[in-house]
Amino acid sequence: MGVIKTFDERADHIRQKSGTEPVPLACNNESLAGAVSQRACVYSGARVVLNPITDALHLVHGPIGCASYTWDIRGSSTSGPTLYKKSFSTDMKVTDVIFGGEKKLAGAIRELAARYRPPAFFVYSTCIVGVIGDDLKAVCKSASDDLGIPVIPVMSEGFRGNKNEGYKAACNALFELIGTRDYLPKSPYAINLLGEYNVAGDLWSVKPLFEEMGVEVVASFTGDSRVEEIQRAHKAKLNLVQCSGSMTYLAKKMEEKYGIPYKRVSFFGIGDISSALRTTAEFFGDSRMMEKAEEIIARETARIEPEIERHRSRVSGKKAAIYMGGAAKAVSLVRAFGEIGMDVVIIGTQTGSRDDYKNISYIVKEGTVIIDDANPLELKELLVKQGADLLVAGVKERFLAYKLGVAFCDFNHDRTATFEGFDGIVNFAREVDITINSPVWTLPVERVIGARMRTEAVPEKVTGEIPMEQNAAGGETVV
Amino acid sequence: MSENYATVNPCSMCMPMGSVMAFKGIEGCMPIFHGSQGCSTYMRLHLAHHFREPVDIASSALSEKGAVYGGASNLKKGLLNVIQGYGPKVIGVATTCLAETIGDDVVQIVREFQQEEPLAGEVAIIPASTPSYSGSHEEGYNEALKAIVKTLAKRGRPSARFNLVIGSIISPAEVRYIKSMLENWGCGYDYTILPDISETFDAPLAANYPKIPEGGTPLTDIEDMANSRETLTVGGSILGGEAGDYLERVFGVHHTILPLPIGVEQTDGFVGTLEEITGLGLPEKYERSRGRLLDAIVDCHKLVAGVRTAVFGDAEMALGVAKLLCEMGMDPRVMATGLKSPEFVRRGEKMAPGSEVISGVDFSDIHEAVARNEIELLIGPFTGRQISKAENIPLLRVGLPNHDRFGGSRQMVLGYEGTTGLVDRIANVIVEMNERDR
Repeated sequence: MGVIKTFDERADHIRQKSGTEPVPLACNNESLAGAVSQRACVYSGARVVLNPITDALHLVHGPIGCASYTWDIRGSSTSGPTLYKKSFSTDMKVTDVIFGGEKKLAGAIRELAARYRPPAFFVYSTCIVGVIGDDLKAVCKSASDDLGIPVIPVMSEGFRGNKNEGYKAACNALFELIGTRDYLPKSPYAINLLGEYNVAGDLWSVKPLFEEMGVEVVASFTGDSRVEEIQRAHKAKLNLVQCSGSMTYLAKKMEEKYGIPYKRVSFFGIGDISSALRTTAEFFGDSRMMEKAEEIIARETARIEPEIERHRSRVSGKKAAIYMGGAAKAVSLVRAFGEIGMDVVIIGTQTGSRDDYKNISYIVKEGTVIIDDANPLELKELLVKQGADLLVAGVKERFLAYKLGVAFCDFNHDRTATFEGFDGIVNFAREVDITINSPVWTLPVERVIGARMRTEAVPEKVTGEIPMEQNAAGGETVV
Repeated sequence: MSENYATVNPCSMCMPMGSVMAFKGIEGCMPIFHGSQGCSTYMRLHLAHHFREPVDIASSALSEKGAVYGGASNLKKGLLNVIQGYGPKVIGVATTCLAETIGDDVVQIVREFQQEEPLAGEVAIIPASTPSYSGSHEEGYNEALKAIVKTLAKRGRPSARFNLVIGSIISPAEVRYIKSMLENWGCGYDYTILPDISETFDAPLAANYPKIPEGGTPLTDIEDMANSRETLTVGGSILGGEAGDYLERVFGVHHTILPLPIGVEQTDGFVGTLEEITGLGLPEKYERSRGRLLDAIVDCHKLVAGVRTAVFGDAEMALGVAKLLCEMGMDPRVMATGLKSPEFVRRGEKMAPGSEVISGVDFSDIHEAVARNEIELLIGPFTGRQISKAENIPLLRVGLPNHDRFGGSRQMVLGYEGTTGLVDRIANVIVEMNERDR
């Protein structure tokens, strides 16, 4: 008997933490047909990684839908160029499918290069490109030769795996750019930030901390970055990897080719941002930098603590559910919830690996449910069963939570407040507080029937709070 | 327009998206895409943004193996899991580019599934062919409507009912409005409205949240559409209303096609046709609404006179709004749609001679047209926001998608009341423009 009733094939993807042993969890396989996975496709994985490069031209070779639904949805802020906020597509039609789309693609690149003069192109392949056999690499190579700029094919046919394959395709594309421009860093302490996408301006609350320590950020991968910065990223001495799911592959490749070591960090949460600063200072072994790091940590922690305490007192003891795309963010969230006194009762990811889940099962408390590649039916049952007060996830899950009367915090592309750095954790605590403690959850879902209408035959209805206490599960998942 | 190998900022979505808008208007219906996992996730995201509702769409989750050897087993597995997980009465199967390109015969796969699977017995399954490369979301919507009646409508005893087919995408609130109008009219249960998204995309917050949202056109009503005495398609003036055509061709159900009831003339046409169909006069309260609409238009006519406006988005919606602008004495200088349609151009040019009417365009084309025509006001989906920002022209959000404002599911621009609301909004935007410029 599993944690909840679900499809047979899904049972091994849901486990409850019990005892000290790691919880074995099935993961990283194809999503079950008909189960309404929250995952997207290979193209989506590639697109989220590359899209934040603000001055690149991102061209989708495929039918219109793939470009329509990914137009400016990344939530990644820019300090300059806005080309990445446009949606470019070859809008393939029936004739292109029958006769091939290479000519149209070549034409599109030529046309767009003349019109927008981008420093580089990323050309994404989609499902049908893989099936009809357009030679994306050849078209890009020839366009690159003609135009004298990098035109990089991103091999992201949607069906060739899950989002992880897309991350890999994106990393391969980035790797082609890296090392193509020479650079002498201004500081001997030069780093890259990998897996930092500047959602809601996150980068801008992190970068100044490093700069204060005398560290130069050569390139951020890929939030608010420029093609030129990516090209010279090989000149950094250290790669800090935040979103490990999307970027560890690139970090390893850079270590191999350029000898740049990498460290896994997170910029979210007081503990995590502090240890990111310490890790960096220790890596460079500069005692003044180490002192500076401690000074920043002490100063900033003291500055935000009253704010944090105010929110902590209002959310302490509440139960949180986490459903994220990747495991790194999920793990960081567990620690951050600890910092504001909340318990995590559900934790899940779309694309976690065996190691990720092992790691997660060590850090969560007894009784926490761990889930891989969840679907709405499972999330719904789990939120009710585990008595979650809050769900942290993305847009697709937001309205499910609301329908169940569960508070919600967006930790994905749609948020508008910075969550990273010291100010970020204050924003996060505030958002968690205002949603959990909102009066909307105490509005009676069922009204009191008028006194004159109340008779023996019509008992007065109970004014319950919004659904949680009632049977929101609405029956079994699977017959 | 340039030679255009590339589309820059699309003004349309893909066919499977449109199919969902039709399938989700059937009671107890769960849609499934035959294709890769991403299609369903992206469209769920897109619709959740617009309606602010949970939107479940299944996928056959085709992988590399499926793409090479065919996706039959994935689709069958997906259908079975949807039946077991969601307990639907109806499943709408929409194909994607991938399924069509690898040549899967979905009709055949569904037939096999129905023969092989005992659990399939109670569930109606509707296959629709909707590859993105064959058309826009509007065409996908129409294709699905046609597939629905083709699969479900059955000859039976002739009935006194009439069919009201919503021929282009409108909001849940607008469907509710039409239904309440018919109720006030005394039509009661004498009609079938298809599709009915009035509840499914705008569900009340309630104690019990069902797996498939309540509401939608009942299956038996759709089956009976073959026996109605008449079909009226509203919002079918551009794409023609193939579902109604099919019912006419095969079952002899007389078919009338009208544009969307936006503005005085088009709403009069809708109301007049309903009078003919029902044999009942328009209820007095709507006569009074009509008078209030005229009153609202007169009130602001000097303020809005000649304001150069660009209207874009879905073809029917854009033309309907443009028609209203003409009635108000405004200048719909640019009319644009992502749908490739000579009929749109013909109708638009006839409605407002001298206007720039363009079809099959993207937002970069629309941007150029806006600049060329010194436009003062934009009306259309939120996807026009980059033009609004770049040119510093207000954008009045009408139509799907609307991701950056609340109330997408409660948009109301139809009928005398809806039009009155739109007139007030247009006037107020212009007031704000004038205040800002002062």
